[in-house]
Amino acid sequence: MSINVMLDEFKEIAANPKKQLEHYKGQGKKAIGVLPYYAPEELVYAAGMVPFGMWGSNKKTISRAKEYCATFYCTIAQLALEMLLDGTMDGLDGIITPTICDTLRPMSQNFRVSMGEKMPVIFLAHPQNRFDENGLAFTVAQYTNVRKKLGKIAGAEITDEAIKNAIKVYNRSRAARREFVKLANDHCDVVTPTKRSAVLKAAWFMSKDEYTEKLEALNAELAKLPVCDWQGTKVVTSGIICDNPKLLAAFEENNIAIAADDVAHESRAFRTDASETEADPMMALAKQFADLDYDVLLYDPQSAKNRRGEFVANMVRESGAQGLVLFMQQFCDPEEMEYPYLKKALDDMGIPHIKLGIDQQMRDFGQAYTAIQAFADVLEMNK
Amino acid sequence: MSAIYTLGIDVGSTASKCIILKDGEEIVAKSLIDVGAGTSGPQRAIDTVLANADMTREEMDFVLATGYGRNSLMGLADKQMSELSCHARGASFLFPEVHTVIDIGGQDVKVLHIENGTMTNFQMNDKCAAGTGRFLDVMARVLEVKVEDLGRLGAMSQKTVGISSTCTVFAESEVISQLSMGTDKCDIINGIHRSVASRVTGLVHRIGMVPEVVMTGGVAQNTGVVKALEAELDCPIHTSPLTQYNGALGAALFAWQAACRKSR
Repeated sequence: MSINVMLDEFKEIAANPKKQLEHYKGQGKKAIGVLPYYAPEELVYAAGMVPFGMWGSNKKTISRAKEYCATFYCTIAQLALEMLLDGTMDGLDGIITPTICDTLRPMSQNFRVSMGEKMPVIFLAHPQNRFDENGLAFTVAQYTNVRKKLGKIAGAEITDEAIKNAIKVYNRSRAARREFVKLANDHCDVVTPTKRSAVLKAAWFMSKDEYTEKLEALNAELAKLPVCDWQGTKVVTSGIICDNPKLLAAFEENNIAIAADDVAHESRAFRTDASETEADPMMALAKQFADLDYDVLLYDPQSAKNRRGEFVANMVRESGAQGLVLFMQQFCDPEEMEYPYLKKALDDMGIPHIKLGIDQQMRDFGQAYTAIQAFADVLEMNK
Repeated sequence: MSAIYTLGIDVGSTASKCIILKDGEEIVAKSLIDVGAGTSGPQRAIDTVLANADMTREEMDFVLATGYGRNSLMGLADKQMSELSCHARGASFLFPEVHTVIDIGGQDVKVLHIENGTMTNFQMNDKCAAGTGRFLDVMARVLEVKVEDLGRLGAMSQKTVGISSTCTVFAESEVISQLSMGTDKCDIINGIHRSVASRVTGLVHRIGMVPEVVMTGGVAQNTGVVKALEAELDCPIHTSPLTQYNGALGAALFAWQAACRKSR
């Protein structure tokens, strides 16, 4: 199968989550909606169900969700609820609501109240002090609760063996996505920003074994190509989500490729594997969460050192990018609060960047387009 | 060797501006129509500038469009560029020693850092009308004065009135409240200018101010805002009678470069 055909398949899946949900339901499978961030999807997979990522929508307008949400809730969370209320996600058999940010915490109760008897809503509170014995025990306790509730929806208890197998499936999937990100940089003439986004986005709407098989096939074909001699510029993207096709098309029109990303919806979601040798698979998942690092949303005991800012700035240097584009989600307090530190690290290393204010209800991209075009000019001058 | 004529078109959100340059140096003609993107303004500005120069589109060696509505002219222009690059180029032409350009347009604010005539960094305002030309339009309407009179009226202020720089809607409410309390309009206008200056200063400091500082865009014609900004930044600000044409000038200069490349 040609690379373009494979890329088109991912594009089709990424653009049609409802169709994908119907596909799995047609196979008699149960599906669980998974809200951001860091839900242990492995437990859903181990229960024989399909995890379904819920990161809002670029096509919908917030209407019914306004009944439940404050206006300053981010559009990702509001549009996830909208899709549960307007019937788009009626096929789901339940949802998991992690609560790692200040919007998602109260929002979890909006989901619970609004769903009522429609579907089970599984509450998940990750600890910020996640490293020591107590933090790990807390994570295990939370995950155990999620496991029990998922087992109830699946109609069977989730075994340790099934979780161990799920960890292997997910590690393999994460490795394939990390490999794809590198290949996309080497072959940015073929894997354009829009196509790169679609490949990574499709992962949220596919059973991971199926997705990984497809992605490994794509990676194998990409690896056969000679590394492209890119004449344009390259950037690292950062933020919660940057999947808007119109914004990504602006990158392409201005010859900007994406060398790597620090995006929650993309690489931040598959940077860290879980141990396959840990005797207790629940502890393996808890330790995986503890091992997550350089993240806007997670507590860093050494935060005064600006490790995260330097990590991202180094990513720009090491990936061969000339600058960074930050997609600042409107009303995202963690990203806004972290921005000055990221800016300092980038400025200290002489890395140009732009901050684009976005939300998922944006329909006019004039200002963002101007900023991207001007940034391309700046990067070109700096080359 | 025959002269090279280039046309720069800046289609802004509230005005359309054109400049015809001869050999990248001499301004042959210019035009300004007070309506911008999505209106008849761009075409009228082009027709006017060509008429003023007594020339035709075919006599232009290169046409470059910039500004918010630049993409709408792709049938007519040979190329389009972002207005940030064009403002940097135009300001460098007018003031060769410039390092910081503050451009306040109809619906956005841009601060550009320039090195050797080239933009090396920039900041734009968030999606918010506060601190923009639109902010001043709204305030002028509430105060029942012409926007072009704001500078003159603000200069007659006797005392300072605080106006919020956070939000146009809230600031409008504050102005109405001040009017209902009988506050002098000139004092309110002075407060509005300081509000704009405060907002823009934050943006300038994000990028780092390096003299010489030049202000471009329609709002640069408002002496009240320029003075308020000079006070906030503690730095003199240069303006030009061509301030509103600066984007079109930069576009015409880039067009001249492109025409020279083409003719080689």
